[in-house]
Amino acid sequence: MRAWAARWWALFRRTELQRSRKLRGLLELLRPYRGRTVLMFVALLAATAASLAPPYLAGKAIDAGIRKGDVSALDWIVVAFLVSAIVTWTASYVQTYLVNWVGERALQDLRLQLFAHLQRLSIGFYSRNKAGVVISRISNDVEALDQLVTDGVVTLFSSSLTLIGTAVILFVLDWKLALITFVTFPILGIGSIVFRLVSAEAYRLTREKIAYVTAYLQETLSGIRVVRAFGQEERHLSQFADLNEENRAANMKTVNLNAAYFPAVEFLSAVATAVILLYGGNQVLNGGDVTIGVLASFVFYLNSFFDPIQQLSQLYTTYQAGMAALDKIFELLDEDPDLTDRPDAVELPTVRGEVRFEDVSFSYEGEGGEYALRDIDLVVPPGQTVALVGETGAGKSTFAKLVARFYDPTSGRILVDGYDLRDVTERSLRSQLGVVPQEGFLFSGTIRDNIAFGLRDASDDEVRAAARAVGADEFIERLPEGYDTEVGERGGHLSAGQRQLVAFARAAAVDPRILILDEATSNVDVHTEGRIERGLRRLLAGRTSFVIAHRLSTIRGAGRILVMEHGRIVEQGTHDELIELDGAYARLYQDWAEQAAA
Amino acid sequence: MGTFRRLLGFLRPYRRGVIASLLLAAAAMVLGVLIPALVGKTVDAVRNGHSNLWPYAAAILAAGVGRLVLSVFRRLVAGRVSLGVEFDLRNLMYRHLQSLELGFFDSQQTGQLMSRATVDLQSVRFFLGYGLVFIAQSLISILVAAVVMFAVNPGLAAVTLAPTPFVIWVATQYGRKNRPASQEVQQRIAELTAEAEENISGVRVVKAFAQEERQFARFSRQVGRVFDQSMVSTRLRAFYNPFIGFLPNLGLAALLFVGGRQAINGTISVGEFVAFYGYVALLTQPMRMLGVALGMSQRAVASGARVFEVLDREPRLESKPDAQPLPEGGGRVEFRDVSFSYGGEDAEPVLDEIDLTVEAGSTVALVGATGSGKSTLVMLLPRLYDVTSGALLVDGADVRDVDLPELREQVAFVSDDPFLFSASVRENIAYARPDASFEQVQEAAERAGATEFIDELPEGFDTLIGERGYTLSGGQRQRIAIARALLRSPRLLILDDATSSVDATTESRIARALGDLMRERTTFIIAHRLSTIALADEIVVLEEGRVLARGTHEELLEESELYREIAEKGLPDQVFLTRDPLEREATL
Repeated sequence: MRAWAARWWALFRRTELQRSRKLRGLLELLRPYRGRTVLMFVALLAATAASLAPPYLAGKAIDAGIRKGDVSALDWIVVAFLVSAIVTWTASYVQTYLVNWVGERALQDLRLQLFAHLQRLSIGFYSRNKAGVVISRISNDVEALDQLVTDGVVTLFSSSLTLIGTAVILFVLDWKLALITFVTFPILGIGSIVFRLVSAEAYRLTREKIAYVTAYLQETLSGIRVVRAFGQEERHLSQFADLNEENRAANMKTVNLNAAYFPAVEFLSAVATAVILLYGGNQVLNGGDVTIGVLASFVFYLNSFFDPIQQLSQLYTTYQAGMAALDKIFELLDEDPDLTDRPDAVELPTVRGEVRFEDVSFSYEGEGGEYALRDIDLVVPPGQTVALVGETGAGKSTFAKLVARFYDPTSGRILVDGYDLRDVTERSLRSQLGVVPQEGFLFSGTIRDNIAFGLRDASDDEVRAAARAVGADEFIERLPEGYDTEVGERGGHLSAGQRQLVAFARAAAVDPRILILDEATSNVDVHTEGRIERGLRRLLAGRTSFVIAHRLSTIRGAGRILVMEHGRIVEQGTHDELIELDGAYARLYQDWAEQAAA
Repeated sequence: MGTFRRLLGFLRPYRRGVIASLLLAAAAMVLGVLIPALVGKTVDAVRNGHSNLWPYAAAILAAGVGRLVLSVFRRLVAGRVSLGVEFDLRNLMYRHLQSLELGFFDSQQTGQLMSRATVDLQSVRFFLGYGLVFIAQSLISILVAAVVMFAVNPGLAAVTLAPTPFVIWVATQYGRKNRPASQEVQQRIAELTAEAEENISGVRVVKAFAQEERQFARFSRQVGRVFDQSMVSTRLRAFYNPFIGFLPNLGLAALLFVGGRQAINGTISVGEFVAFYGYVALLTQPMRMLGVALGMSQRAVASGARVFEVLDREPRLESKPDAQPLPEGGGRVEFRDVSFSYGGEDAEPVLDEIDLTVEAGSTVALVGATGSGKSTLVMLLPRLYDVTSGALLVDGADVRDVDLPELREQVAFVSDDPFLFSASVRENIAYARPDASFEQVQEAAERAGATEFIDELPEGFDTLIGERGYTLSGGQRQRIAIARALLRSPRLLILDDATSSVDATTESRIARALGDLMRERTTFIIAHRLSTIALADEIVVLEEGRVLARGTHEELLEESELYREIAEKGLPDQVFLTRDPLEREATL
């Protein structure tokens, strides 16, 4: 038992130690804004102090004004009352504004820091992690921190101060009455914490249930064609009703919990009032030092006495959620970029484009892992088009990714014009490299923006020239807004074929010495097909190119075909040579030819 | 006002609950007001030297217990009402959406519909479920307290309650301005997320072009936009919240000033003075709530109008009340002078006077350029759309006269980009026949050439696929969709480019398996590959919504220039050497 407790304690200390490091990191974000932060705390202090005054002043009004019949004392108390109200008002304004300003600024900085960090991480990181998860670090998790940084901080300080301030005032007014009042603390405190824990779970469940409902709705609306075509409306109606019912049941639990808790808090306050009146009243009657005004002050304080305790109990949930988010954010920030420029990396001068693979092997898991490429030895002379063919998983994309230095070889080396890729700066290599991804990934913005993507301050002429070079100008100029056409998210407003052509133009614009191209497999109509073929030919001309090829025309036009199987090059040569060889390539070609002739 | 009254209609089934919760709220509030009054009485008793305070304390406790019980029940009843209204609204909306015809969804963006069914529905249900109850309860609370205060001391009541209307008005203003401001924050966060998403999905392009700095600048603009809008929302909150808290203090100050003087000259007792302070404190919360709820109601009416827009849209494609069962037959299809356009009679026709008879059990291939009307033609068969003019007959019956579920049961459809649900492979194949046995599911998968890859999935037929599950390639999805259609065992089978993403070898295997099935039913095929087209008994060439030619492959090669062109250029050379085995190597 003791061993267990010790282990638990060690674990607790470790996580809390890590957390304190992270909390310090969070505080670090506030450093640039420390002037404002200090001002915020001053305002918070002033607002809290001023908000404590009214019940005291009301009691004073009874003792010093009413009971003594002193109108001028009463008037001074009214003035003090008004002053306290105005101070509360203005200080709250300043505090609310500043805490949000500082909080949002800090989170904005954190977002930028995360984004910059993400950009430094290598492609390997992105293959290991799902995009959705990474994105939610920047959006959801930072949002969760927002709660902690703004509401959490304010609640922590203002509620604690209110609680302490009230306690001190009550104690000074009459310590015996104060002690009686404090008896309710543990009851309410424990009750509130239990309530928060149970209801946090209940609320989590409601969020989960409503997410199911929404997802179901979304899915059946997206798939409405299938629903209609197969006439399955009734089934979906009953499934939806089930989900809806589950959602209601989950919410019912929170209704029941709230119905128990909040009236109970009200009741507790009534109990405390009755006890105070009973005991304090007798004190007054028996000539103790309790006055009517003090008694009244106590009752008035009780009105809002329980609010800070309730709020503090809620803070725990906010803290938990915020810390969970912080853990995940730090996990990302602690991820080291594994591909960085060497300290002595040199600028790659303008190259002719000779690419040499020397005994290159590569595994995504590092040494000892399963090899995606094995013992590749190859010299590609400047300007040659190399077509990579083979089944998915044969290593074609891996091959292309190594040329772009998205990964470093596990063993062996890759040289461009005699420079080892690991010895040159990333920027100088990439600026001479053009990449066309399979579906021609475009960014939202105009066609012009996309073509000029790899250039600094591209002129209109450069953009047009690039489009013309690959024959994309024709369709662009026919669009109502020409080069200013918005392509939509991921280029969604353009057809697959148009996206391809814009991606060609984008690559052509940087006039790369080395080109890496993943040919699209999507179906386009005969007309567009022809245009893409021509654009591709023009793009490849005169550049060292590596094409993951799917089209026969591309493969036939290539200066060299590499046939890959299980990470190795099994055959290489031109189309005619490989047919002559009558090996793997010839067999695949025959299969296809039979199909086409059927 | 019409919208408002209609919204109230949703509360009708719960009117007893609504009335009960209001009565409970009123009773609880009476007891709530009683407590400060009793406190005042106690204070006076102390002042007057009554030594036995027990009855007062007991009365306060009793009032507390009474309020506890009433409040618990009030919350339980009101909670059930609001959840019931929410439940009804959501089911109603969903049922209605399911009753609308496909044409409606073509004209609406899914995102728009989703926002009506979630965001708008949310503000309506919040208002009906909570807002109205809040308004009523707050009004009751204020009324009860005000009546008591005026009864005790009208003058003092008037001065202390003077800020009340302002609190309500200011809180209403806040509620009205804050919602759009904070929604805009959410909107901008969504934009920021989209920006981040694009960057992360396109990270290879960014890196390849070494454009990290530019993307960072773009992202920081988005981050700045979020910050600016948060500050708009913050300024509202910073101004209104403390201000709303300040106003009731004016009432208290007036109480001290006026009530204090009255207590000095004996018009009221000290106890009454204390009680008044209690009343005002009691009112602060309801005043705030009332304002917020009133602000909410304006939004709810606007949202309600948008919800009703959908609910009021009549379904335009339903079974006739006197619909007949589909006559027995083998699936003979007859297009009689069929014209069709998506926008009704005035719009550009997509199909133009099609006359076409397809005998039961035969297989027809539809060939033509993109936009020639092939897909539209086959969508008329399960009556996903109604013809604009002319008639479509299946086994001699006009599809508009036939019972719709029965017609659709006899037509199975596979499209080039089939939609699969987030469910297991097995459930997806059995989609149209949930009662099918596992053997039947396996057989359908086998015929569709899908068994091979399904067996290699992590959990075979039980693997979760779709949006939230395992990602399948286009060809794999197509094969599952074919299996789904085959399991239906329909009279009419439609394959709309159904094997476009399947490699040539697999396609020919599917085609052989389909060969047997096709003989038993009428089949429509839309395809690009000659090998698939060759399966058809007859080929129909479409151009701009008209039948240009029909005949066998050989006949058309001679007769139709268009067919010749398609046959030559449409060769599928791009699938050369691609297969889709299971390992999903990320593309570049």
